[in-house]
Amino acid sequence: MDQCARRLMFLEELEAAWAIAKKDIKIYYLKAPTLMFAILFPFAMFFAFAVGREVPLNTLIPGLVSITVFFSASSIGPSALPLERRIKAYDRLVSAPISPYTVIIGKVLSGAIFGLIIGSLILAASLPIFGMQLSNLLGLLLGLVLASLCFSMLGIMLAMLPRENPGDVMLLLNFIRLPLIFISGIFIKVDALPYWGQAVSAFSPLTYANDLMRLAFEGTSAFSPLLSTAVLVGFSAAFLYVGRRIDMRTRG
Amino acid sequence: MPNAVELSGLTKAYGALLAVDHISFRVPEGEIFGFLGPNGAGKTTTIRMLTGLVTPTEGTAKIFGLDIQNEAKEAKRCMGIVWEESNVYPELSAWENLAFAGEIYHVAKKRRETRAHELLEMFGLLARKEDKVGGFSKGMKRRVAISMALINSPRLLFLDEPTSGLDVQSNMMIRDVIRNENRKGTTVFLTTHNIEEANQMCDRVAIINRGKIVAIDSPENLRKTIKSAQSIEVSFYGTGEPSEGELRMIQSVSRVISSGGKFRLFTDDPPVALEGLWDYARKRGLRIMGVNTLGPTLEEVYVSLTSSAEVGRRS
Repeated sequence: MDQCARRLMFLEELEAAWAIAKKDIKIYYLKAPTLMFAILFPFAMFFAFAVGREVPLNTLIPGLVSITVFFSASSIGPSALPLERRIKAYDRLVSAPISPYTVIIGKVLSGAIFGLIIGSLILAASLPIFGMQLSNLLGLLLGLVLASLCFSMLGIMLAMLPRENPGDVMLLLNFIRLPLIFISGIFIKVDALPYWGQAVSAFSPLTYANDLMRLAFEGTSAFSPLLSTAVLVGFSAAFLYVGRRIDMRTRG
Repeated sequence: MPNAVELSGLTKAYGALLAVDHISFRVPEGEIFGFLGPNGAGKTTTIRMLTGLVTPTEGTAKIFGLDIQNEAKEAKRCMGIVWEESNVYPELSAWENLAFAGEIYHVAKKRRETRAHELLEMFGLLARKEDKVGGFSKGMKRRVAISMALINSPRLLFLDEPTSGLDVQSNMMIRDVIRNENRKGTTVFLTTHNIEEANQMCDRVAIINRGKIVAIDSPENLRKTIKSAQSIEVSFYGTGEPSEGELRMIQSVSRVISSGGKFRLFTDDPPVALEGLWDYARKRGLRIMGVNTLGPTLEEVYVSLTSSAEVGRRS
């Protein structure tokens, strides 16, 4: 295959991934499970644990942005895929002349864009209301984009399990998401956690996403931005790989 | 010219269960091919392997000479698929559903808009193109699903129970469109429970039972294979009253069914049974008002083949 044909094929795959993302945006952004698990749930969690405590704003706001991006980006896949499996629309995607990875990337994009929109709205509201200043724009952009992609991929990976009820996948997802928010420096800084907590937090992608957010707001971070970037990219690739393996195994 | 579909030793095992057991057949380009079988016979698994949804345990499946496993994308480009359930997106309009199908099948924007317009018009849905499909009837949803499968003008159209549970008008419209597409050169691979539909539409049919192909031929030739299902339909008038028991005694008659004043005599030798029938009528002072010799229906062939395979398996 010559370079021109390869390029054309790559563009076709990109167009198909974008078509899947657009379709998901139209259908799933305003669905009740999405709104509940992606927006109401993180807000409720955040206010339940943050209000009334002596936590400085520059710790609270990065945490709020991280947690909403975490919940919103990871909720689209588990809302969409089981429903599509139930009405056999997922078969349509898999039998189309596109790579299985294109289907996954399309789904990831819709979740990531949702996470970006919700995260940006929280930011846009927080900056003037609390009079916050941004210290590192690059940290903010990296944090928002990489966290959205990584958490969306986490949701898609679990949504690859052969379930036809979004609640089943959400349950499993929350089983993972809820412990992560307590060990990833959202409410308690990682360096204030006990030793075992710090060790566990190293395995949470939310730790690195939140660290980039802290860099954006406070100008300081526990890890180097390069390390956080690499870890988030690594987690995304691992989720993509595992998701594809689950899909291959369960479809037969 | 390569065959539209070519299966060779295609097998799918789920643990110890052989859902599809080393099946091989070819479907030439331009044919309407029926794929029949009882529930759980392996029809859907076969289609899922042919369309790349499921990986075969053994054997190969080729679409226009392209291996569905190794050249999946190229093979899938040639296909359109209509699944048993109308897997349309209820939250999108008919137009958006077709546009989406066109996008994932790499149909250029201008072409997909022209084709979507053409298909919606053909299926009588143009006036409702901006309406959400969720509000459509079952027949309308099925027409949208078929339009989505035709958006890329496929060379091969897979239809899994396309008219199941639909109203008469939708059925007729869908069958007309399938015939028209076939006349334009599209090969059709049709799975159906409706034997009459297969009889009317298909050039050839394959019957699958318990994962194995038990027959494959034209409906006409398949009917000829079952001699015992040939019959004579007769009605009498006169003073005497014919009885099923007496008619059963006529030479070569194996079974008699009466309904609506007519008798149906099953025989494997219609000329001998007819001679016996004339003799019987003369002796009983009956006059024959009408007589028809009937071949077995495809349904009878289907029942005979699937039940004998069952008996063979049990014995």
